[in-house]
Amino acid sequence: MQADDYYDSVRPGLVAMLPRLKRFADVLAGGRDEGRGLLQRSLHYMLDEQHHYQRGTSLDVWAFSELYCQWRHELSGEADPMTLARIDDVAFGALFSLDDEGYRDEPIIAYLVGLPPQQRLTLLLVYGEGFEHEDAGRILDVSSEMIAARLIRMSTSLADRLSDRPPAQAAAIVETLYPEGQRASS
Amino acid sequence: MTELSDELLVAYVDGQLARKQTRAIDKVLEQDDVLDARVTALKHAHARLEAAFEAILAGEEAEISSVVAPPPEDGFWVPWRTFKIAAASTGIVIALGLAALGYGWPLTVPGVGMAPGMGTVSGAGSAPEQVELQVSPEPAATP
Repeated sequence: MQADDYYDSVRPGLVAMLPRLKRFADVLAGGRDEGRGLLQRSLHYMLDEQHHYQRGTSLDVWAFSELYCQWRHELSGEADPMTLARIDDVAFGALFSLDDEGYRDEPIIAYLVGLPPQQRLTLLLVYGEGFEHEDAGRILDVSSEMIAARLIRMSTSLADRLSDRPPAQAAAIVETLYPEGQRASS
Repeated sequence: MTELSDELLVAYVDGQLARKQTRAIDKVLEQDDVLDARVTALKHAHARLEAAFEAILAGEEAEISSVVAPPPEDGFWVPWRTFKIAAASTGIVIALGLAALGYGWPLTVPGVGMAPGMGTVSGAGSAPEQVELQVSPEPAATP
C-alpha cells in the first residue's frame, strides 16, 4: 500500500492501516508499549477529528502526519522534551524479535537506536513504507529537500559503518525536535 | 577515478534520478570499480534497512491478529461447541424416531382426528371393514 491509495471512509482505512500505524508509532516512541499508548491516543483524536480529513487526499499521509503531530504535541508539554525523546535500547530492540528465531540484524538495530526520532522515521517512511520524498516531508512537516539531505547523510554513514569504511564528515544540518518553520520563527 | 558525490549516488540508488542521468551513471559504474563498490554498499545498506522494517511489520501483524482472532476452543477431538450441537441434534432425531414408533406415521394426536387412510386411532392390527355388495346376474343373451 503506497501513498496514492485512497479510502472512501476514514475508519475502515485506519483499521486496514493498523499494523503500519503501529510500526510507525513503535519506531517513533521506541517500543511496543510506548507505541501502543501513542497510537491509541492518536486514533481517538483522528476519529474525533476525521472531518478534517479531505477526501481525495492520501489517507495514509494524513494518518501518519496526525500520529507524528500527536507525538510532538505530547513532547511540547514536557519540561525536557529531548530527554523524553530518548528511547530504551532493550525496548527498541524487542521490536525486531521474531518468534521463529529469525535473523536479527544487530548492526542495523544498533544504528537505528542511535538516531534521533525524526531520522529514524525518515528511513522508515522512505525505505520501509516506500513514500516519495514529498509525502515523507508532508508527514514530518519538513521540505522534501530536508528528507533528501537526511537520506544522503544516513545512507552514507550506514554504508560506511557496514563496510568498515571511515565515517563520513559530520553533517552541517542540525536536527532538532521542531521543524524549520517553528525554529526560524522562535 | 570519476568523482561522483554521495548525493548523486544515493539519489541513483533510490531511483530519484532522471533516465538520462541514470544511464550516465550506469556507464560510469561499468568502468569504475571503486564507485561500483560504493553503490553496492549503499544498496546493501538499504536492503538491510528494508528487511529490518519488514521484521517489525511482521511482528505488528502477528500481534494484532492474535488480539483479533478468537481464542482456540477446548475439546478432545472436536470443540465442545460442535460436540454439544451434534449431541442435541442426535437427541432430537432419536425423540422423533421414538414418537413415530409409538404413534405411527404420520403422527396423530388422540381425540383430534385420524390421519386420512388410517382405520383406527392406533392404526395397527385391525383389518378394514368388509362391505358385501349384491350384484345382479347378467341377463342371458337372446338369440
